[in-house]
Amino acid sequence: MARTHLTDLTIVARSMRVRLFSTATTILMVGVAVALMLTLLALRDATRNAFSRGTGNMHLLISADSSPMVSVLNGVFYANPPARPIEWPKFQQLARSAPWQFFIPVQQGDSYQGYPVLTSTPDFFTAFEPNDQEPWTFAEGRAFDKAFEIVLGSTVARASGLRIGDTIYLTHGIAGSRQLSTQSDAAAPHVHTDFKYTIVGILRPTGSAHDRALFSDLDSTWIIHAHDRRARESAESDATTIDDLTDADRKITGVFARLATRPGSNVTAILPATAARLRADPSITVADPGSEIKRLFAIVSNIDQVFIAMAVVVIISSGISITLALYNSMEQRRRQIAVLRVLGSSRFRILRLVLIESALLGILGCILGLAVSFVGGQAGAATLKAQLGIFLDPTLPLGPTIEVLGGTTVLAMLAGLIPAIMAYRTPVAKNLKPIA
Amino acid sequence: MPETPALHISNLSFTYPGAPEPVVRVNALSLAPGEQILLAGTSGRGKSTLLQLIAGLLELAPPTGSGSIEVGGTNLHTLSSARRDLHRGSTIGMIFQTFNLLAGFSALENVMAAMMFSKIPKREHRDRALSLLKSLGLERVQAAPDELSVGQQQRVAVARALACDPVLVLADEPTASLDPENAVIAMDLIQSACRERNAALLCTSHDPRTAERFARRASLDELAASHTLTTSGGH
Repeated sequence: MARTHLTDLTIVARSMRVRLFSTATTILMVGVAVALMLTLLALRDATRNAFSRGTGNMHLLISADSSPMVSVLNGVFYANPPARPIEWPKFQQLARSAPWQFFIPVQQGDSYQGYPVLTSTPDFFTAFEPNDQEPWTFAEGRAFDKAFEIVLGSTVARASGLRIGDTIYLTHGIAGSRQLSTQSDAAAPHVHTDFKYTIVGILRPTGSAHDRALFSDLDSTWIIHAHDRRARESAESDATTIDDLTDADRKITGVFARLATRPGSNVTAILPATAARLRADPSITVADPGSEIKRLFAIVSNIDQVFIAMAVVVIISSGISITLALYNSMEQRRRQIAVLRVLGSSRFRILRLVLIESALLGILGCILGLAVSFVGGQAGAATLKAQLGIFLDPTLPLGPTIEVLGGTTVLAMLAGLIPAIMAYRTPVAKNLKPIA
Repeated sequence: MPETPALHISNLSFTYPGAPEPVVRVNALSLAPGEQILLAGTSGRGKSTLLQLIAGLLELAPPTGSGSIEVGGTNLHTLSSARRDLHRGSTIGMIFQTFNLLAGFSALENVMAAMMFSKIPKREHRDRALSLLKSLGLERVQAAPDELSVGQQQRVAVARALACDPVLVLADEPTASLDPENAVIAMDLIQSACRERNAALLCTSHDPRTAERFARRASLDELAASHTLTTSGGH
């Protein structure tokens, strides 16, 4: 339906259309700046979220690592196999030290094609949740329930192409490369070729580092390493069974622990006291994963701030580009302003028209930037997930997004202030004269 | 009760800042509704300056200016800047030598733009503009100015000047950039359109053929000398 009358927005739209190239490049510049800022903010939040995943519903992580931070990096994010073990009697002593809801022993040390293997008890799949309120779910198969059964994290399954029923051999330690290797490559690192694992389950993605791990039972790994010990002790050792294990063979590298709480009671009241009591034991390291991740982000937030500051500079540059675009167009638009004044427009309305135009350039740039960062974020997250198994939630954080969009629009209006004042002061009579 | 003149000027004097003597001096000039007058004179004599003073586009205040200019009974120069702009849009139509049509706007939108700043109800803008353009013989109302011939552009400029039913139309050298044939057509259009709408017309021109079309003619020198110019020369 045809418009019955013109509005200020019509005049601004026509003005922008007349200078289409300048308008488009200015919007593009604002859009790129906004997209950069939103992407950085989304990336920062997504990274934090990604690091927040994996600790799930555990309250404490107990290990023999050198510090709580190392303990969390190794125990939850599989940075390195923990160097020092916890002996089984110590585990049993700790298990009796507090009213635990769960107290799950875990052990790392072996790998498959560079992917770490975490061994544990069946509680790992039933009591521990990789993300709070999000229990494990299986894409195929089930959890291990007897020795030499193994479950694959989603990334491992995708990268290796292994299926339920396939068999694999584990490597002692973590090989540097994650390139797929065949069993005949077993020469360099020590492959436990005497013990074949059968794949019984494939997990759904959790968005945590656990997706890049394999999971098996503790008994199996103890048997394998007891077998190695027995082989060293006697050249003709027969098959090793669980009955051959000694307390020295039963080593773990960590414990995922959660305190039992009564309904309605708050764990924050008893957690610090329990942690402090445990820390009195110098042979163990007690980490509160939530606190350690906060500490980690406190360290990296300085880098964040540098990137955000750079993005702010880019946004300010885009504001300057709005000023320049409008300033440079002033020569062209002086006649238009003079005509509008003759038609009855006040000086203030002329000023308002230029401010509306600069705000509109900012708003359109914001919309472009929002679209680019949304599409780019989705595409980037999909690529990271597909190629590296890293789960980054590309959702733009609402509060900061509103701040960026609002701030950019205000900045755009401020950028239009000088050209608007020029327009306000445009002498009408002089600009109505015929062009020589 | 005497009819309010479309234009009434008395004791007007205006000097550009720094200039040694006034560029415009009008002792008295009155123009009745529908009346048409030609202001003759060569370039640089102050004709355009007088038009801009009448339109309130130049400040008429001491020490550079003095006197009174009333359009439709209202002295524009006693109004605030914003009210003067509004009053100009509603009571004065202007036609320029180079038309000064708005780039990026269609012919129709150029005419509608004139009503944006008036009190004409918004819902009527489009219909009024369409009707006006049709009455002036322009069919291609959606065309951009640069898609129209010079004659068609002239029609749009005239329609825009008349869009708000002004009491006074100021035409500043409207035929200066036209060939003689188009100049005749343009002046026919401007004069008849003003006559039909009872709008007074003050036209400036240094073209004798244009001047011959007006019953009332005056030069700035005559306006400065006369005590009450209500008629002068002409046919």
